[in-house]
Amino acid sequence: MSHGQDNPLAHPEVQMANNRSYVTGFIVASLLMAAATVLVSGHLLPPFALLLAITGCAGLAIIAQVYFLLHMDLSEHSIWNTVALIMFIPLFVITIGLTWWMFSQLYLRTMPMIPGMPGMH
Amino acid sequence: MLVNLPGPWNPWLGRLALSEIPYTNPILAPLFVVVVVLVLLMVAGITYYGKWGYLWKEWLTTVDHKKLGIMYIILGLVMLFRGFIDGLMMRTQQAMAVGPHASGMMGAVHGYLTPFHFGQIYSAHGMIMILLAATPLLVGIMNIVIPLQIGARDMAYPYLNALGLWITAAAVVLVMASLFVGDFAHNGWFGYAPIFELAYSPGVGVDYWIWTFQLVALGTTLGSINFIATIVKMRAPGMKWLRLPMFTWASLSANIIALTSFPCLQVAIGLVAADRYLGTHFFTAGFGGNLMLYTNLFWLWGHPEVYFVILPAFGMISEIIPTFSEKPLFGYVTMVLATFAIAGVSWLVWLHHFFTMGMGPYVSTEFSVATMLVGIPTGVKVFNWAFTMYRGRLTYTAAMYWALGALFLLLVGGLTGMMLSIPAINYMVHNSVFVVAHFHMMLLCIVYAIFGSVIYWFPKVFGYTLNEAWGKTMFWLFSAGTALVFIPMFMEGFMGMTRRLDWPFDPHWAPYLDIQMLGILAYVLSILAFVVMLYVSIRDRAQHRAAADAWGTSRSLEWLTASPVPFYNFAVVPQVNARDEAAWRREHGLSAQRASHYDAIHMPNNTGNAIIIGGLTFVLGFALTWRIWWLSLISLLAIIAMMISHSAKGDPGHVIPAEEMERMDREAERAMPRADLPRHSGGVLGGAIAYDSGAAGAGSRNLRGAPDHRP
Repeated sequence: MSHGQDNPLAHPEVQMANNRSYVTGFIVASLLMAAATVLVSGHLLPPFALLLAITGCAGLAIIAQVYFLLHMDLSEHSIWNTVALIMFIPLFVITIGLTWWMFSQLYLRTMPMIPGMPGMH
Repeated sequence: MLVNLPGPWNPWLGRLALSEIPYTNPILAPLFVVVVVLVLLMVAGITYYGKWGYLWKEWLTTVDHKKLGIMYIILGLVMLFRGFIDGLMMRTQQAMAVGPHASGMMGAVHGYLTPFHFGQIYSAHGMIMILLAATPLLVGIMNIVIPLQIGARDMAYPYLNALGLWITAAAVVLVMASLFVGDFAHNGWFGYAPIFELAYSPGVGVDYWIWTFQLVALGTTLGSINFIATIVKMRAPGMKWLRLPMFTWASLSANIIALTSFPCLQVAIGLVAADRYLGTHFFTAGFGGNLMLYTNLFWLWGHPEVYFVILPAFGMISEIIPTFSEKPLFGYVTMVLATFAIAGVSWLVWLHHFFTMGMGPYVSTEFSVATMLVGIPTGVKVFNWAFTMYRGRLTYTAAMYWALGALFLLLVGGLTGMMLSIPAINYMVHNSVFVVAHFHMMLLCIVYAIFGSVIYWFPKVFGYTLNEAWGKTMFWLFSAGTALVFIPMFMEGFMGMTRRLDWPFDPHWAPYLDIQMLGILAYVLSILAFVVMLYVSIRDRAQHRAAADAWGTSRSLEWLTASPVPFYNFAVVPQVNARDEAAWRREHGLSAQRASHYDAIHMPNNTGNAIIIGGLTFVLGFALTWRIWWLSLISLLAIIAMMISHSAKGDPGHVIPAEEMERMDREAERAMPRADLPRHSGGVLGGAIAYDSGAAGAGSRNLRGAPDHRP
């Protein structure tokens, strides 16, 4: 074991706790979520731009939470978490990417755009 | 309420009412009476013999990985039986109902089961067999074997291990409760959108299905975290990565799959729950929902899950075959690579479960090629096993029978799988019983490996071997059942019989369905043979007392410690010198080597929290199913409170002094028969380390054994 088991306060996760970063993370994530909500509920952008905007907000929120709340970096005690995070990227690309490809091909064949009709995309 | 709930509801009982208990059903009502009588008998028996204290102290509150593993296996065997009864009912219904003139009884037009009841049976059969029978059986065996194979005293998180078991048990109780209170889902085990939406399935069946899934997914995810942490952090000194026994490697890859895929299931099922409870429209046909998105999300988990169950089975075969071939596993490194290749590809193939969705040739081609790729590492494994046996000294024990049977089924299932990976063929046989027969070959391959490893590792856990003759009888009966049920099923698939027919309308299918009934009879006899095997083995246990190395030719680390394994696993954590440590020590005449010095060890304490939290998760699932909101809230809060209080308390564990360890080790040693040691003289030039000093096994410290005083 890399650290003692007797004193929970000695765990690196506890040692790394830091009010300022928690508050920053919370505020940043909340602001991004509020921005996405306002954009969607007010229909402030055309549909495709809206999609890009909320995807961007979600991506930034993930980075903010990973950094400020989970304290992931390359230091000795969080390297395993970071490795797990990086291993997750190919899975993310496979699952979301292939799903997107699959459904775009499906819609191409099953949901043809009829002129004058509101479409799915 | 956010959704328009059909039928009555009241704040105290939710949708629960006396009329939900099917006491007029001619199948369920007698079954309920039988179950109640059995439970009363058990309670009376335990009370009469005064075993409540023993049960609570030794089993229900235990955190010992071996006892938890045994309970997982018992749970899995009970559910295997329940799932088999479902299968028996389906076979009987189809054999009775075939053709346009088949008569009906008990309210059914054809056969004896109404379509609604039949739908519940096949849904329950699929879900139970995969998630509540195969998974607990595999997790149970992993639980027992992994810490022994890597030389650990327990799992990395003993309490989490107990929690995983009791949450899985809660899922089992929930699915069994659906028999007697309300209905179960009738939408197939993996569910179809939109039939599981509230508008089309207004009953509680789908809700039972949702919460059972969620509970078992939670239990399995917790278990997988534990296994990965154990294998990464708890290996004995000298147990380098490339010395890990093959079963441990296979389990590691399987649990990585489980950890990454079960969350997908929880999300998919969670979204179904949102549709049914909150009125969202994820999987509805209108309002922006998408039916196929559900199928996609489900199989995103579903296919990795298939490899989660098959990889440990491959690992078991890789342990049994070398032992009874008296040779090391052929191509160890390629075996490891093949295992991880299968695990990696498992993420790229899920679309082959719905090739007929209509996404066109490009997407189908990618998934078809990826699916065929699985054949390469699987082929590597099959050849490795074959070359392990080639020119080996084969002993055909019962365990070896099961392992060889598993190989044969893998071949049949694998080749039909290759057929199905071709979209053109897949379009032809999609949703036919050909597919059903194919995946039963694969799942039976797992069942064969499980029975093989139950026989193989039984002496390690209980200290005596199972009866060989009855094990082989069971094997032949079970194999006869497999052949008689599934060969006709393959043929019916080619004849165009679709799956899930409560009424097989074509009279040409009748002879095939009748042959399948013979197969079911063989399966019933094999279950009897299993019971007889257990009875005979327990009765004659004194004659079949096993030594540490129960088979005399075993290879991996678990065969070094005493049989039955004491609760501390290894009195002194061994120093690992070679890939097949037990075989290496035997070949170098070090099998009888004992540690000369003992140290105090630190073990975790028992706790009742795990079973209480498990019970509360059942209450939560039941309350959510019946929409009893106050009870859901209370049980959820209670779970959170218990979790926090347990974490805050921590577990100081207890220390066993060195003298006590020495006494227990000597006693375990004396209780075993003398092992038959090889005749050739032992000894290694330069000396070998059997027990290294400074080994950091859970706070213990061991001393160097002297290797040079062997006779």
